[in-house]
Amino acid sequence: MNSDVILVLVIATALAFDFTNGFHDTANVVATSISTGAARPQVAIGFASLLNFVGAFISISVAATVAKDVVDAEVITPTIVFAGLIGAITWNLITWYFGLPSSSSHALIGGVVGSAVAAVGFDAVIAEGVIGKVLIPAVVAPILAFLVAGIAIGLSYRVVGRQRPGIVSRGYRYGQIVSGGLLALAHGTNDAQKTMGIITLALIANGTLGAEADPPFWVIASSATAIALGTYSGGWRIIKTTGTRIIKMDAAQGFSAQGAGAAVILASTHFGFPLSTTHVINGGVMGSGAAKRLSAVRWGVAGNIMMAWLLTLPAAAAIGGLTYGFTRIFGTGALGPILVALMGLSLIVAAFARRAQSGAPVEATGA
Amino acid sequence: MIATIVHTDELLQTIAASLIAGIGVTFLFSVGIWGAGQFTELSRSERPVAATAAAVVGSVALLCVAAALIIGIVVMTHK
Repeated sequence: MNSDVILVLVIATALAFDFTNGFHDTANVVATSISTGAARPQVAIGFASLLNFVGAFISISVAATVAKDVVDAEVITPTIVFAGLIGAITWNLITWYFGLPSSSSHALIGGVVGSAVAAVGFDAVIAEGVIGKVLIPAVVAPILAFLVAGIAIGLSYRVVGRQRPGIVSRGYRYGQIVSGGLLALAHGTNDAQKTMGIITLALIANGTLGAEADPPFWVIASSATAIALGTYSGGWRIIKTTGTRIIKMDAAQGFSAQGAGAAVILASTHFGFPLSTTHVINGGVMGSGAAKRLSAVRWGVAGNIMMAWLLTLPAAAAIGGLTYGFTRIFGTGALGPILVALMGLSLIVAAFARRAQSGAPVEATGA
Repeated sequence: MIATIVHTDELLQTIAASLIAGIGVTFLFSVGIWGAGQFTELSRSERPVAATAAAVVGSVALLCVAAALIIGIVVMTHK
């Protein structure tokens, strides 16, 4: 009975995380289209949330990695997964509150690894999976997006350099409808799968599913819905950071940044690498800016963003570990997770109320 | 040991696919825009044959973009 209550809490918390993931990442997906004037904010966000939903159905490779290659499902309990999720959600909220583009994905993996280490020790962590499928792709992917976007925009300027600016600008703005859509699709497929993986891990840990099981359809559909609703609901605060503070982009740069981001995320998803979509998209944005003029990129802001990225894994791991320790004060039953869930809910309500009191955090900057 | 931990093949395929798709699609789309621009310019200067050729090149490039996107999605959904 206790374990079923905890499992329900894990599923609800995972879907809440998925919602915050969409909420937090909306800005990354739509900022480029909005800042170049390719789409109005409401249209871009509606389109992105629809494609997030669709994207969640096109692959389960990343879900398999999260469920089977990060922590040992045989020693994991639903409470450990729950504590990891709380670590990730708390870190997401902190970075959202302060307007920092962090990484929901690294927060999730950090949180689960942290709570697993606190509960079982380092033996619970599958080092090979974490290093080979999470950490190395995490470093490679943003650099790859930077290079792809940089080379792509360099070639584009050579091809269209002598054309009239009007037709070029209009052309790339139309193109951004497709590249922005692809980026949203890529975001949906990589990020929603992390939630699918976590719920599947909890179902395996609870004995509901076999060790090698794939995510059931209801898990895929509910994860798709949660991330799409999250994307539709939020992310305004970070739009300015990603869309205009890093570089001031033209439509060609926006197109190449989005194309690079989508290509890297979709290719990585195909091989089951759970990436930080935020890192990849920002890598593409910086690459398209740096190729035009190195000084066009505001490296100070980029440095601040990188600091937030570096902090994500250890911070979420620490919060996940502490959360697990707190739940154990109340024994191994459902009381600890229930209390943590109530506290978490209060924290979220307080953060939103405070944010609502101080008005809309940041205006979307249409060009 | 390192080769076991690093999924070299998959990582290299990811890098190759990203480079080809990301750079290729942007390049082809740019050729499409170039074709549209040239078509407008050459039509204005009453050079219909050159304008048609530019339009054909641009259209083929845009068709290649569409094909690349469709192939990409099909590959993604068939693993």
